[in-house]
Amino acid sequence: MAMAVGFVFLANAGAGIMVERVAYRPVYPAGRLPLVVSALGMSIFIQNGIMALWGPRFQVYPGRLIPTASFHFWGLTIPFLKILILVLSLLVMGVIYFIVEKTPFGAAVRASALDRETVTLLGVDIRKVILFVFTLGPALGGMAGVMNGMYYRSIQFSMGWNYGLKAFTATILGGIGNIPGSMVGGILLGIMETLLAGYVPGGGAWKDGFTFLILILVLILRPTGLIGEKVAEKV
Amino acid sequence: MNFVELVRQRLWQANHNASPVTGKTGARWRSFIPFLAGGFIFVFPLLPLVNNYWIDVGFFVGIYSLLGLSLNVVLGEVGLFDLGHAAFYAIGAYTTAILNTRFGVSILLLLPLSALAAAGFAYLVMSPVIHLRGDYLCIVTIGIGEIVRIGIVNNPWGLTNGPNGITGVEAPALGSFLVETPTGFYYFIWVIVALVILGLLRLQRSRVGRAWNYIREDEIAAEANGVDVRSYKLLSFTLGAALAGVTGSVYASKMMVVSPQSFLFMESALLFCIVLLGGLGSIPGALLGATAVVVFPEVFRQFASFRLLFFGLALMIMMIFRPGGLLPRKREGLGFQGLGIRGLAQSEEELIERGRLLVKENLALRLSENLTRSDPLLETRGVTLRFGGLLAVNNYDLKVYPGKITSLIGPNGAGKTTLFNIITGIYRPERGQVLFKGENITGLKQHLVVSRGIARTFQNIRLFPALTCIENVMSGPHCHGKAGVFSAVLRTPSQVREERQFVEIASFRLHQVGLWEYRNELARNLPYGKQRYLEIARALATGPELLILDEPSSGLNERESEELMELLQGLAAEGFTILLIEHDMNVVMVISDWVSVMDMGSKIAEGLPQEIYNHPTVIEAYLGKEED
Repeated sequence: MAMAVGFVFLANAGAGIMVERVAYRPVYPAGRLPLVVSALGMSIFIQNGIMALWGPRFQVYPGRLIPTASFHFWGLTIPFLKILILVLSLLVMGVIYFIVEKTPFGAAVRASALDRETVTLLGVDIRKVILFVFTLGPALGGMAGVMNGMYYRSIQFSMGWNYGLKAFTATILGGIGNIPGSMVGGILLGIMETLLAGYVPGGGAWKDGFTFLILILVLILRPTGLIGEKVAEKV
Repeated sequence: MNFVELVRQRLWQANHNASPVTGKTGARWRSFIPFLAGGFIFVFPLLPLVNNYWIDVGFFVGIYSLLGLSLNVVLGEVGLFDLGHAAFYAIGAYTTAILNTRFGVSILLLLPLSALAAAGFAYLVMSPVIHLRGDYLCIVTIGIGEIVRIGIVNNPWGLTNGPNGITGVEAPALGSFLVETPTGFYYFIWVIVALVILGLLRLQRSRVGRAWNYIREDEIAAEANGVDVRSYKLLSFTLGAALAGVTGSVYASKMMVVSPQSFLFMESALLFCIVLLGGLGSIPGALLGATAVVVFPEVFRQFASFRLLFFGLALMIMMIFRPGGLLPRKREGLGFQGLGIRGLAQSEEELIERGRLLVKENLALRLSENLTRSDPLLETRGVTLRFGGLLAVNNYDLKVYPGKITSLIGPNGAGKTTLFNIITGIYRPERGQVLFKGENITGLKQHLVVSRGIARTFQNIRLFPALTCIENVMSGPHCHGKAGVFSAVLRTPSQVREERQFVEIASFRLHQVGLWEYRNELARNLPYGKQRYLEIARALATGPELLILDEPSSGLNERESEELMELLQGLAAEGFTILLIEHDMNVVMVISDWVSVMDMGSKIAEGLPQEIYNHPTVIEAYLGKEED
C-alpha cells in the first residue's frame, strides 16, 4: 500500500513537470487568459488520455488496499479511514504552511508569484521554485485522488473535474494565496454542503448550488475571501 | 533558440513584413475575405456534396458563432473573465421552451423575450458582484452557471421538468411559412448572426466600444478619465446575456427539446475557448473559433473516443503558437478609418482647426470665468486619511487659485499622491472636505469628478497600451458625450456628429502637445517621454478647468523638462489651473506661483517658491538636520 502511494507521488510529480514544460512554460509571456485555455486543453487531454487507456466506465478500487478498522467511543463509530484522511490532510497542510510561510525558500516561492523577473535577478533559481510547485501540487492532487478512491471505492476518468472546481472554490473562499485559508475554505465548504443537504428538505440536489451561493454572498461582503488577501494596489 | 521560439519568430515575421509598394502589412487580398466568407456562408447549403448533415453542422457553427460573439462582448471587449456564460444561453432556451409549450407564445416573439429574460437575469445577478477583481469574478460566474443548471435540474415550481427537459418546442413561423427544415434553420440563424455582426461592428467603433476597451486596458485609468466603469461592465454583461438568450431561443426551437445536459460548465469553458481561439475582441475571430470548435470534432468523428484528446491538444498548441488568437483585432496601420467615423475633415489642418474651435467654444468661457473669481478654485479643508495605523494625510488645508500653478512638494512617502487620490475621488477622507468651485465634492466618484472639470495624470504613467494614441486621447471627451448602445448601432445623426467632435478635440490636443505624427501609433510603442505627453494630452481632452499632474517631469531629461515647463506655462496663460506634485526643484522654482510642502502627511510649510527654497523646515525634511 505504501509502495503504491509512493509510486503515485512520483508519477504525479513527473506528470506535473511535464505539464509545466509543455503546456505552461511556452505560454507564460502571453498572459493569463491563454494560460487558462492551455490549462483547460491539457486537462481535457489528460482526462481523455486516461479514458482512452482505461475506458470510460467506473472502476472499482481494490478492496484489499482499504483499511476497514473502526473506532468505537462515546457511542460513535468512526472508521479508521476517515481519521486517516483527516490526519493526513492536516499534516500535509501543516508541512506546506511551514515551508511556504516560514522558510526562506517559501518566501522565494511567494515572491515568484508576484514578480518572477525580479526574483531571478535576486539570485533565486526559478527552476527550483517551479520544480517545487509543479511536483508538490500534482502530488497532493494525486494523494487526494487516492484518498477519494479509497473512500468512495470507485474511480473514473472524469472524477477530478468536480473536485477541481470545488478546490478552486475553496481557495477563493479562503482568499487567494492563503494556505490555511484554503484549508479552512475547504472544510467550511464540506460542512456547509453536508449540512445543507441534510437539513434542508430536498436540499441534497441543490447542494452544489447552495455552496456557490454562499461563496457569492461571502465575496460580496468580503471581496478578498474570508481570511483575505494582503494585496493593495498602488495607484 | 528553442523550437517554439523559432516557430513564433517565423509567424511574427510573416505577419509584420510590410509590402514595399503599399507599405501595408499582410496580404492585400485580406479586404476581400469578409465578402468571400459571406458569399460562402450564403451558398453553402446549395453546394454539391452538402447534405442535411452538413447543413446542420453549418447551423451549429452559426449557433456557436453567435455565442462566441456574445461572450466576446464581455471577455473580449471588456476583459471580464466569464466562465458561466452558458447560464444566459440556458435561460434563453428555457424561457422559449416554457413560454412556448405552456402558453403558446410564438417563437418569433420569444426571440426578443428570451433576450430580455437573460439580460434581466444578468443585470440582477451581476450587479452585486460586478466590482470584484478578475479571479474572484471568474469563480462567481462559474457559480452562477452552476446554480442556473442545478436550478433547472431540480425543477423549481414544476417549470423546467427536471433532467428530462422540455419537449415539443415549435418552429418559428413567419406568417404561414414555417422554418422547420435544416436549410430553413440554417438561414434563420445566419441572418441573425449577420445582423448581430453589423451591430457589434458599429458598437466596437463607438463611444461605448471604446469605453469597454479602456476598461480592459486599465480600469483605474479609465475611471480616472471619466468612464463610469461599473455601468459599462454591467452593460457588457447585459448585452452579452441578451445575445446568448437569443441564441438559446433559436437552439430550443431547432432542437425542439431542451435539457440541462446542454448547459454544463464544459459548455461555458468551450465558449471561453472559442473567444480565445479566435482572438479577444475580434468579430471574425469568433466566427473562426466557432467553426474550429464545431467542425473539428466532426472531422475527427472517425476517431470517436480520441476526439476530445485531439481537441485538448489543439487548444494547447494554439495557445503556445498563437496566444493572440487566429484573427486578432488589428489596431495599428488602420489609421483614422479604423475609427469608423464618417464625415471627417479631409485635411489634417482642418481637423485640428475644428478641434481648436470646439475647445474654444466649450472651454474658453469657463476658463475666463474662473479667472475672475477671487476664491480658490480647489480647496481641501482638514482632510485626514488613515491606512490602518498609518496616518497618510493629516488635517491638510490646501488652496489652489484659478489660473495659477501650485506645486505640492515633499519627500517620498509624504502622502502627496494620496492627497491627489482623495481630491479625485479614489479615496474618501475620514475627516475634512474637498471643495471645487465652492461645491463639496468629497468622496464623489472618480468619473463624476472628471465631468465636474478636474483631470489628472498618474505618477506611473497609466495609458491604454494596446490602443492607438488618438484612441487614448479620445477617452477625454468621453464623459461629456451622450451616445449609448442604441445610438451607436443605429448611427443616429447626433451620434455621428458627436464622434466627429471627439476626433477633432483629440486631434487638437495631440497636436498641442506635439504628438500629432504618432496619432495612429499604439500607445505602448511610444518612448517614455512621449508617453508622458500623451497622458497630458488625454487629461487636457477631458476639457478640465483644473489639471492635477503627478510628477510630470519624472524620467524627463533637462531639455524635455524645459519643454514641459513651457507647455505648462502656456496652459496657465490659457486659463488652466494647475496643481503639481514635483520633485524637480528647478521646475518648481521656475513655474510655480505657490508651493505647499508636505511631510509625513502634514503641512510643514507654504508660500512663494523663493520663501520655500530656503525654509529651514523644508530643508530639514528633505536633507535632514546638520549634526551638532
